[in-house]
Amino acid sequence: MKRRQGWLFFIIFLLTFSIYLLINFPLQLGLDLKGGSQLTLQLLKEDGKVTKEELEAVNAVLDKRVNNLGVAESNLQTLGRDQLILELPGEQNPLSASRILGKTALLEFRTQKESTSSQLKNLQLQRLKINDLIELFKIDDKRSEETSLLLMENLTEIENDLNYSSNIEQLFKRLVATKKYINNEIANLFNKTDLSGKDLINAGRRQEQTNNNWEVSLSFSNNGGEKFAEITKSIAGTDKLLSIVLDGESISEASVGSQFINTGITGGAATISGNFSAENARELEVQLKGGSLPLPIEIVETNTIGPLLGSKNIVKSLYAAICGLIFVGIFMIFNYRILGFVSVISLIFYGFFNLALYSLIPVTLTLPGIAGLILSIGMAVDANVLIFERIREELINGNTLIRSIDSGFQRANSSIIDGHITTFVSCFVLFLLGTNFVKGFAATLGIGVVISLFTSLNCSKTILRFLTTYQSLRQKNLYLSKSTTL
Amino acid sequence: MTSLSFNLIKNKNKVFGFSTFLILLSLIGILYSTFNTSYKKPINLGMDFIGGNELRIDRICKEECEIISPDLVIEQLRTFSNNKNVLNNIKLQIQNNNSLISIRTPYLTIEESNDLISNVDKILGPLNYESKNSRIIGPKLGKKLLTNCATSLLVSLFAISLYISIRFDKKYALFALLALFHDLFIVFGIFSWLGVLLSIEVNSLFAVSLLTIAGYSVNDTVVIFDRIRENLKQNSDNYNKTIQISVNESFRRTFFTSITTLMPLLTLIIFGSYSLFWFSVSLSLGILIGSYSSILLAPSFLIKD
Repeated sequence: MKRRQGWLFFIIFLLTFSIYLLINFPLQLGLDLKGGSQLTLQLLKEDGKVTKEELEAVNAVLDKRVNNLGVAESNLQTLGRDQLILELPGEQNPLSASRILGKTALLEFRTQKESTSSQLKNLQLQRLKINDLIELFKIDDKRSEETSLLLMENLTEIENDLNYSSNIEQLFKRLVATKKYINNEIANLFNKTDLSGKDLINAGRRQEQTNNNWEVSLSFSNNGGEKFAEITKSIAGTDKLLSIVLDGESISEASVGSQFINTGITGGAATISGNFSAENARELEVQLKGGSLPLPIEIVETNTIGPLLGSKNIVKSLYAAICGLIFVGIFMIFNYRILGFVSVISLIFYGFFNLALYSLIPVTLTLPGIAGLILSIGMAVDANVLIFERIREELINGNTLIRSIDSGFQRANSSIIDGHITTFVSCFVLFLLGTNFVKGFAATLGIGVVISLFTSLNCSKTILRFLTTYQSLRQKNLYLSKSTTL
Repeated sequence: MTSLSFNLIKNKNKVFGFSTFLILLSLIGILYSTFNTSYKKPINLGMDFIGGNELRIDRICKEECEIISPDLVIEQLRTFSNNKNVLNNIKLQIQNNNSLISIRTPYLTIEESNDLISNVDKILGPLNYESKNSRIIGPKLGKKLLTNCATSLLVSLFAISLYISIRFDKKYALFALLALFHDLFIVFGIFSWLGVLLSIEVNSLFAVSLLTIAGYSVNDTVVIFDRIRENLKQNSDNYNKTIQISVNESFRRTFFTSITTLMPLLTLIIFGSYSLFWFSVSLSLGILIGSYSSILLAPSFLIKD
């Protein structure tokens, strides 16, 4: 009896500790419960598998970009061998984040090849034309048939001039694709140099004084500054231009004046002025600050949840969990009387232990996670039912109460452990192989299974032992439902 | 409850008949779904597995939202948007007293999805962006998720089989697994039919529910087999009779656990979030079938003629 009392104190201590944990370390809620955006990023590699180093390198670059995004509490983590998950709490429009993260942002400085001036002039002219068309498309929101036709006509003309054709149907996408083609072609007229985005130490943006456009300023490292001076010196005063190429597209071409013929442009700074809007300039700034990605990535999943929907989900799940518990409680007390009451108390303990462990590990609570928790209530009750049925049988066979309780627990033991192990195996596999969404379910159900072993085998027994120390609670008919005839 | 007794020896063939009927029905559903539907798959795969865009958003209405037909909305969307491909495969529903708009389209970029929302806003607005739920899954991820789910299912079935065959002797293990595959096959078949008849789609949570059902079904069967072994040790004279007694002894327990597990699931179906609705339904079905198979089908395998 003394040992049991020790257990009682231990359980009460655990309960107090759980409540203390829950008050001081509140549960972490997933995005589907508090609202926000979640992006899944897939690393793209043409041949072979993505190595651990590559994944970490991409993670590091993206991490810098995410920090410069300025979303509070954003969270970036790797998923499996070739995916990353980015969570942006509170963010309702992940468009800008996706644009910033999705680009490789490989910055290059290139010098013009010999005798390509006329080709370049033609391409620059076509680029001007296509930019005008894109502007027109954006201004005229409710396009009439006429403007669409006009746009199409002009676009076809440009495409014919370029000897370029695309099979894209949608007008805007086709405009953008043609522009990209032109920028690629321009970049191809230039020779690569050894100066690249790696030589930057910082990037910034500012508004141009003459018009509303933005420009992006670059600061080179010492070494980069020297390279930049060397390159500008080589083309200063000639008709060759310097091109700034981002991901294979030329975004700006500039001439270097003859005053730099002796030293090149020194001072280790440059600006890119390529008709940037405020937002575009910010995106480029963030990308350059983070550096270029060692592997291209693609955004394969986007999930956006409004804050109102999140809180609705919490309320709904809470209703479901509480109603489930109440129904199960009523059912148990109705069928097993005092035993049922014991199982209700140990279920309440079970709930607290679970939640406390979530905040201790910590487990982020999501909708599938709550489903796992609710389902694990069923698991925990199952163990109680197994034990109580055995106790009941022993009582019907005419054994004393204390002996029935003891052998009930003992004989149900192996079945309970078997059942818990099979479920735990499923959870374990799910957790290892599953997606983020599935992992939440596997984690809560798995934790539930482990705790249920403790509460059903130990808590229930301890509480029952405690209750049976009272003489008035030792009547057999308190343990059997009325329908049972002894 | 205690007086309940089921004559398993006599009704063994009825049990086999019933299970065969269910299996055939599921098989027909799976075959029909594979050959006679637009998607040509054993089961109607949802956007988790094939990629796509799902959007749910509430309308803000002063009193009651006026009725508007989805076809009309799509018609009006055509005048705003020039992406005909999206509009040709769009599924638009207006639920909850005309207040909840839910849209399914093939895969869209975030930009295109935003355009779609703002176009819908022009027609059905104002919209409550606080209640927005938007999911975009690329086709690449879809394929990956599908293989991922299939592997998890196979690996854990293998792990469970391994555990059972270590835990029991060969005969018992084989029958427990037969009952398990019986349950999974029927739940799968039911969802094939749901896909054919009501265009219900399955997503990754369906795979999770199958795995959970597997754990449950095996658990139930193990409890009954344990009982049978225990009783056979004490009384090996009348083999068939002992099995029947064991089944009847375990009946209350299996019945009660099914109820206590179904109760929380039913509250999830009634009160829970819509994304867990079909998950809870498939779990409930699995638990019903699992209880049946462990209490009646699995012991029937053991009964000798």
